Amino acid sequence: MTVLFGTLGWRPQSLIPSIRSTEGLERVVFYHSDHAKSRDARGKIMEFCRSLGVAATGVELSDAFDLIQCAIRIREGVRKERASTADVRFNIAGGTRLMSSAALLVCILEGIPATYVHDDTYREIPLPLLRLTYGEALTAKQREVLAFLVKNRDKVFSETGLARALGVHKATMNHHLRRLEAAGAVERAKDPADGRRLILRPAAGMELLVE
Amino acid sequence: MPERTLIATMGFDERHVLPALRLLPYDRLVLVGSRNTFVSPGFRRLRSLEPDLQAVRVNAFDFGECLESVQESVRLALRNGPVRISATGGTKILTMAAVLAAFQEGVDVWYCDPNPVRLPVLRGVRLAAAFSGAEGSIIRLLRGAMPLDSMVHTVIEAGFARRTALAAIHTLAGKGLVEIATRDGRAILQPSPRLALIRAHLGDEPEKA
Repeated sequence: MTVLFGTLGWRPQSLIPSIRSTEGLERVVFYHSDHAKSRDARGKIMEFCRSLGVAATGVELSDAFDLIQCAIRIREGVRKERASTADVRFNIAGGTRLMSSAALLVCILEGIPATYVHDDTYREIPLPLLRLTYGEALTAKQREVLAFLVKNRDKVFSETGLARALGVHKATMNHHLRRLEAAGAVERAKDPADGRRLILRPAAGMELLVE
Repeated sequence: MPERTLIATMGFDERHVLPALRLLPYDRLVLVGSRNTFVSPGFRRLRSLEPDLQAVRVNAFDFGECLESVQESVRLALRNGPVRISATGGTKILTMAAVLAAFQEGVDVWYCDPNPVRLPVLRGVRLAAAFSGAEGSIIRLLRGAMPLDSMVHTVIEAGFARRTALAAIHTLAGKGLVEIATRDGRAILQPSPRLALIRAHLGDEPEKA
């Protein structure tokens, strides 16, 4: 059995071809914004699914322009379904660009087959995706440093403070941080409280990569 | 001296591109758009600001073409220095293709409309890095159904141990990229439809592990 995930904008036609084409479709879970036209499209999808006898769940995203929050929410939903269902696929055609990008990101991180529906022909286009296990591109220590920064995002750490917190030598920490910075996972910024001091922050969305 | 390249997707309105030009420093600008983009008044205004920009024309409603063009632009630009992509303008198909290209090639991708949002990509981690040397060899060699033994033999001739070759085949089967079937009592290895989808996007050949 398959659960079809989708992002929905104002046009139900962007999701309907995938509902029609999915073999062994058990359920449809789709994400949409709180815009009136999206809610209208949601009603049409629910009606279409009801007529086919397929269960459907529409999930309203409060901020369809917050890419990271959308990705976190979508990933939670995907993981929940994956724990109980054999197959999951995703249609990323509808919704805001940021919603679609968030869905694409989740598909890459979770290795989910994804499709796009052409705007005019409504033909489904399978996307050439493979799971990219980003965590494996970092060493265990680099992952630990990044996970620590993500977990303590609201706290302020200098390089020395971070070395102390994780119990490593300052030079070792410098080595790890330079690697993480080169990969774009960590950013240095001036401490607002002390302009002479540089503080470290995880780049946006890194929580999606360290889990 | 490394040259920083900004690859920006564009529709008709240059105002979707300008925030990226302001926020993402670059030495060279590559604009990806449709035929209509490059005859639009918005493009003419942009060209008057950036006379040296390079224009890459695509069918902005053909996902595959958009993906290949952006990937090719990224690979060419990476030879000269760091690359960033702004996936703010253009059709949604073009922006999705640009985002996917960024993930596959391991380069930064941003939305600047008008506030900058960077997608969480690890720089330098490419799709090809997801495969070991032996897996890469199998992907390159496997064009149709062939006996499993022949493939293992070919991979051994390429310098890999037998158990490495077998492990690579099983890993690829686990990723859904190859299928193992039995025909007339012989194990046959064949590419899956998914492998055909991604083969074109693997770019440079992975090195031996």
